[in-house]
Amino acid sequence: MSESVTAVEEESSENVLGRVFNAEANRYQMGFLAVAFLGLITVPMWNPGWTYVFAFANIWVIFAVSWDIISGHTNYISFGHSFLSGLAAYTTALLTFNVDPNMSIYITFPVSVAVAVVAGLAFALPSLRLSGPYFSLLTFVSVLIATKAVYIFSGYTNGEMGISTVSVLTFDNTEMFYLTLVPALLIAAILLYISRSNVGLVLKAIGQNERAVESAGLDTTRFKLWGFIYSAIPMGVGGALLAHFFGNVEPIAFLIVDRSIEMIAIAAVGGMGTILGPVGGAYLLIFLRDELFRAFLGPNARWVALWSVVLILLVTSPDGLFTRFWRLLDRLGGGGSE
Amino acid sequence: MSTTDTPLRIDGLSKHFGGLTAVDDLSFEVRDGEILGFIGPNGAGKSTVFNCIMSVYGASEGAVYLNDEDVTGWDTHEIVNHGLARVSQESNPIDTMSVEDNIRLFTLPNSPFAFTGGADHEEIVSIADRVELADKLGEMPGSMPHADVRRLEIAKAIATDPDILLLDEPFAGLNQAEIRDLSEEIREFREEGMTLVVVDHNMKGLMALVDRVIVLNEGRKIADGTPEEIADDEQVQRAYLAGAV
Repeated sequence: MSESVTAVEEESSENVLGRVFNAEANRYQMGFLAVAFLGLITVPMWNPGWTYVFAFANIWVIFAVSWDIISGHTNYISFGHSFLSGLAAYTTALLTFNVDPNMSIYITFPVSVAVAVVAGLAFALPSLRLSGPYFSLLTFVSVLIATKAVYIFSGYTNGEMGISTVSVLTFDNTEMFYLTLVPALLIAAILLYISRSNVGLVLKAIGQNERAVESAGLDTTRFKLWGFIYSAIPMGVGGALLAHFFGNVEPIAFLIVDRSIEMIAIAAVGGMGTILGPVGGAYLLIFLRDELFRAFLGPNARWVALWSVVLILLVTSPDGLFTRFWRLLDRLGGGGSE
Repeated sequence: MSTTDTPLRIDGLSKHFGGLTAVDDLSFEVRDGEILGFIGPNGAGKSTVFNCIMSVYGASEGAVYLNDEDVTGWDTHEIVNHGLARVSQESNPIDTMSVEDNIRLFTLPNSPFAFTGGADHEEIVSIADRVELADKLGEMPGSMPHADVRRLEIAKAIATDPDILLLDEPFAGLNQAEIRDLSEEIREFREEGMTLVVVDHNMKGLMALVDRVIVLNEGRKIADGTPEEIADDEQVQRAYLAGAV
């Protein structure tokens, strides 16, 4: 009895992490993760001026990892994930604007997530028949339709101006940072677990050769459907959270197809199919766009700068910055894997 | 080991592609514990039969019975989970995954909620060992020689723990020594209780291995018997290279 207790106590954090996430990280990789984690959770202390941008980036972490669990794994590339988050945000907004301005977040939040799941299933069903560019086009088109619908039904949506009846979670930047950080890290951890589990292996295999996965006795249809649900739930959480972040839900920040493309860019720059890569990619790109470039560049030039950086990174590190850096640390630790 | 004398039975199977009849009213059964040779010249419809059995295509007419259950039109994964595995002619490993993960994939539980489970490292080693791949688990399929990739395909199939194993042209591209090894492995599978169907267009290599032979030509069964009977069958000789069997 006492021996086993000691054994558990002696188990290093590395082993626990390794067991849960099925990852074999060396001490450099563990050290990097630890420093990044500590740096992140103390942002309001060492640079309060960045707190707001990082709070915003937390929500983009949610979008990027949610996109990654389905598209980064199965290669069913969604060009329309802002449809899911946008619908969740609009659900929260429409309920408070059209039904009851005092409706509890405990009602609007779960309803918004449920709507995102329904939207996710609407993406999943065509994926059973369509793949490649046809599937991508379909997701793309659904965003275009939804965006136009906002203008058509502006009596309910208030069109371009948007709906500002959504309560802002807090006006304290530090509080907002932690209120967004906790769900972001929780979602990233859960999706990382799924990614490194059997289910992640199957989703990745589906991305390579769907018929071969069927001959393994695995129901690819069911795995794809659930892959979309595993993506849609956090997309809904992120969308509703973003609504309560700004307090105003309008098409530009929430729905337009640019937002979907940014999700792809973040995941690709970080490293598709790795979950951790998109986490890093979200902080990097949002920081560049909303902090660094904003300080020096005008509203149009900073977008040009951002997309130029994305282009350069995609050409120079097609597997993603994080993936590249992870391999570098692996070599430093003397590992020969991959 | 199956619970029936005929673990696989094909009844009146036909497959039409437009105006072309690839398989024409074909019936046969596979007996428990045998190694059945399934031969015929190129284009005879052998692979089409197997694709229909595995539900890669739907059959135009007829039925497939697996352990006396009608499995016609079932999904491929359901047929695999019902005890039938196939090693197809084309290798299709997941190139981005190691040999170990490729095999592991075929042992995973069929549920999107099963985050754990499937074969552990030792079990994968023992599966790989049956086809002499145990020392290559860390390699990537893309960098392996042809014979090893074929071994991986067989390892994947037996990882699903089948009652019946369909081997589609397993000897293609192998040298004499590799053919001998593989024949030995096939006999070992049978000794472990598996029923095997081996497809080949070349009769010669199969004769020493199989208990019984079915000959297919132009989508029809033209002979069914022991290797000796088949070798003397005139119709078979006509279908094949004008008698040069």
